[in-house]
Amino acid sequence: MIAESLSAGGDPRRLLSEVRSLAHRVRLDQRMTWVALLVLAGVTFVGIPFDWLGMTVRCHPDTSCEFARRGVLYYWPPALLLAYAAIAVSYVRAARARGLGARVLPYVIAGAATTVVFTAAWVAASLYFPSHPESMQQLSYWWLVLDRLVSPWSMIGVALVVLARIERNIGLLLFTVAYLALVLLVLPMNEGWGLAGWGLQARFAVPQAISGAVLLLGAVGFFTAARRRQR
Amino acid sequence: MTAAPGTPEPAAGHPVTGLDEVVHQRARLGILTIAHEAHRVEFGYLRTHLELTAGNLSKHLSVLESAGLIEVEKGYEGRRGRTWITLTAAGTTALANEIARLKQLIARVETTDGQ
Repeated sequence: MIAESLSAGGDPRRLLSEVRSLAHRVRLDQRMTWVALLVLAGVTFVGIPFDWLGMTVRCHPDTSCEFARRGVLYYWPPALLLAYAAIAVSYVRAARARGLGARVLPYVIAGAATTVVFTAAWVAASLYFPSHPESMQQLSYWWLVLDRLVSPWSMIGVALVVLARIERNIGLLLFTVAYLALVLLVLPMNEGWGLAGWGLQARFAVPQAISGAVLLLGAVGFFTAARRRQR
Repeated sequence: MTAAPGTPEPAAGHPVTGLDEVVHQRARLGILTIAHEAHRVEFGYLRTHLELTAGNLSKHLSVLESAGLIEVEKGYEGRRGRTWITLTAAGTTALANEIARLKQLIARVETTDGQ
């Protein structure tokens, strides 16, 4: 135990190692990673019907279709801000109950900032592309990746990198890198995915459901790890 | 010789000469470390994790408070009294200096061992 090690001699190496283990213990006690992931998974799942119902689709005789994801624009900014507020309250309450302060403010600020970036980018795109439809045809692969980066699903990951940094949580960092790789490079968040014959709404719902499921699995994993540590 | 709490040691000289006795004491170093990492820590958390008696912990807190390294805030949550400890700027500096000195000592010992 800490007290035993603290009283076990004045060897500077040992003292320094005790200081590090005390700091690590505090950081573990402050973490509520699973709550953050659970809230974000919930927000992602609830966002699917908003995107579905808020999407306007207009198909032309040449089988090409125009669509606007108004549901994403109206649902995600307030939902993300509420989610970050809920996560902050959970962190502060849990830490306070354990007798500690919480270090969640940088994450909340990063979350709010990424929400502003995503909203500004989507508003700009919704104003620009309807009057310049030809520019949509010329977008390179990296523009599509950039488009995915400024989506709410990726912005969740960007803010999680900040949380991993302030918690010095290697597990969360690895999870977040894998999650970002998934939503940026694997899942076609801005193109849709599904079987032939599926409507556009259903095709856009599939990648969102997968990203929500990954966040939920992450929440379960971090919750299980936290429970094991407490035993 | 000891440095005043929170005062950086002179660059020259053996690291031991710069050790601050207020901070170097093991329990007090533990209190400062936890308070630094937690931003704010409650008396009960310190007592549990440092395995000190309430009286012993109070004495260490008094020493640190007198040296201006921590602030102690007493209050109530419902009917339960709670005491919160926060590190001052001088406390943060003193802790950083202590850790730097410990690292210097380790480096000095390793250099001596290698000769």
